Amino acid sequence: MKVIELKNVNKIYNSSEVKVHAVNDVTLDFTEAEFAAIVGPSGSGKTTLLNMIGGLDQPTSGDIIIGGTNLSALRSSQLIDFRLHHIGFVFQSYNLIPVLTAKENVEFIMNLQKWPEKEKNERTLELLNAVGLGDRINSRPGKLSGGQQQRVAVARALASRPKFVLADEPTANLDSKSATTLLEIMEKLNHESKITFIFSTHDPRVVKMAHRVITLEDGKVISDDIKGMPA
Amino acid sequence: MIWSIAWKNVWRNKKRSLVVIIAVTIGIIAGVLLVGIMEGWTTQRLHDAIYNEVSHVQIHNNEYLRNEEIGLTVDQTGQVIQSLDSLREISGWVQRTKLVAMAGTPWANAGVVVYGIDPEKEKKITEICRKIVPGGGDYLDSAHRGGILIGDKVADLLKLKQYNLTDTVLVKLAGVIPEPVVLHLEPLRNIRFKSYKEFTEALKKELGTRELNKYGLLITGQALDYRIRNKIQITLSDVRGNPVQGIFRVCGIYKTTNAGFDQASVFVNARELADLYGGNEVLTHEIAILCNSIDDAHTVKEKLDGNFKGNAVRTWRELAPDAAMLHDFIFLYYFVFVGIIMLALAFGIINTMMMAVLERTKELGMLMAIGMNHRRIFSMIMLETIFLTFAGALAGMLLGWAIALALGKTGIHFSGWGEGFEAIGFAARVYPVVKPGFIFFTTLMVIFTALVASVWPARKALKLIPVEALRTE
Repeated sequence: MKVIELKNVNKIYNSSEVKVHAVNDVTLDFTEAEFAAIVGPSGSGKTTLLNMIGGLDQPTSGDIIIGGTNLSALRSSQLIDFRLHHIGFVFQSYNLIPVLTAKENVEFIMNLQKWPEKEKNERTLELLNAVGLGDRINSRPGKLSGGQQQRVAVARALASRPKFVLADEPTANLDSKSATTLLEIMEKLNHESKITFIFSTHDPRVVKMAHRVITLEDGKVISDDIKGMPA
Repeated sequence: MIWSIAWKNVWRNKKRSLVVIIAVTIGIIAGVLLVGIMEGWTTQRLHDAIYNEVSHVQIHNNEYLRNEEIGLTVDQTGQVIQSLDSLREISGWVQRTKLVAMAGTPWANAGVVVYGIDPEKEKKITEICRKIVPGGGDYLDSAHRGGILIGDKVADLLKLKQYNLTDTVLVKLAGVIPEPVVLHLEPLRNIRFKSYKEFTEALKKELGTRELNKYGLLITGQALDYRIRNKIQITLSDVRGNPVQGIFRVCGIYKTTNAGFDQASVFVNARELADLYGGNEVLTHEIAILCNSIDDAHTVKEKLDGNFKGNAVRTWRELAPDAAMLHDFIFLYYFVFVGIIMLALAFGIINTMMMAVLERTKELGMLMAIGMNHRRIFSMIMLETIFLTFAGALAGMLLGWAIALALGKTGIHFSGWGEGFEAIGFAARVYPVVKPGFIFFTTLMVIFTALVASVWPARKALKLIPVEALRTE
């Protein structure tokens, strides 16, 4: 089943002197439970593409359809609501709320969605246990390592059972061991929850674990290798 | 959830938040005290104007107000008094004879207004009987003939105040000031100075500036000796317009907070005054009325006004317009004082919150990215501003109130400006008053300031574009 459809998506930045074609006529589909990596050199358009899929940026032309909804047709406030209910985000620099504990950070999106208290608690504990932080639920981000913070961010991204998770260079700030642990957790959650994960990355470990690798260059898709879906 | 995050965000940068909270606290304390002092002065001035000088309502003959002649008494006095007895709003009234006269002693003369009063009745209407200065004799007594009660300023003008460092005074002073200072005063022992000026000049010669500044007031106060029982000659026009003189003896000296009143008003027994100006009856030039409450004054005026066309019925508002102006404008003072303080604080608060938004650009971008809508972002920043303001405001109001309460008991003495204040009817010692209405009003102003101050930073946060905000470091 198609979760995301990109049809002839273009993104052109017009500065005063030059015109930059950041994403050039990209047409792609993502299906349920994919574990896909978008790779390419710096400036190839990975992050721009990811931002557009996440509704954070608008394409200059083309359509991005998620679960039957064309993002171009949504107003700014509708897009925020759409992101809240359908998309999970993992950022390169974790971006947790520093004044909240790990548990409160994970609960944050469920609070925005007004989940009942009991279900919210159960889901939070389930996710924090799943990312191996069941014993650190009351720690604030400042007391957690980079790897642990990124695991909290993954738990937060999955909290509201989104259709897919967009992870922008999630391992870029992590050491090797933490990065491997994080990727194993994400792959496991992808496998168990059937939630699609899409990464933009330079990290060969991510590429190695991904089931599909899309390579961008100068905003164009130059290869789309499917290594096979997990069993 | 938004409330909890907003509160936690306030304490994210403790030092910065505390600086703002302390600034708000100090600002509110200053506001509470300033307004408390103003309110204290207003309350005191209004009270003194009513209970020492003009009462709630006064009745005079219309013509008397233009020309203070002895024959222009209150029109239909008997009927007026009957009417007063029937009014429920009135708690008491007195009749007074009021004549312009010249007062003289062997050393000086002064123009005065002589009030002929019934001392016992007057006690129920005015508080002059409680304003006798220490060592200044007694209030008028109907049983002792020939007494005159004069103001402290009249005593000054008529040179009825002398300064003498007697043996007794020096012994008293030895108990409260250092011995070397008392020794310096020895050359002045038992010398009688006839004026304040002469005495202070003599003191200056004997004491150093530091000693004079520190102990001058105390020494002068102890040395002051009123010439009680001294004779005063009162000259006025009798009922036929001929000048007559009468001799009275000073029975007491009073001092109110209004030097102007003290400088002009002397009191004698109405009957004795009548004996001086002649005629068979005590003349009534003025009827002073006390109502059950200040708000009844207008009602009483309305009820009396139409019935006695020959008389002018005036309320305290017309009789003491300065006090009325203060009473009416006190809210404006609140508004201006607190408004200026709040305006200054608002800029500090806005600056702090703008800094907070700027520092958290990336985080705010993330919050918008993951689905926190504009309303919630706006509310969060607004609540942070309100919490920041309220923490300081609450502390400020409580501390300000506590300080004002403490000062309300002891008073603040503006000793250096005492004469200046008294010249315009204000006491040199002010007792700050903080009314619940002011606390309510300040709370409203704080809420308003917090809301206004929060709009700019909150709007700044809303203008962030998530994808750009996420790129900031």
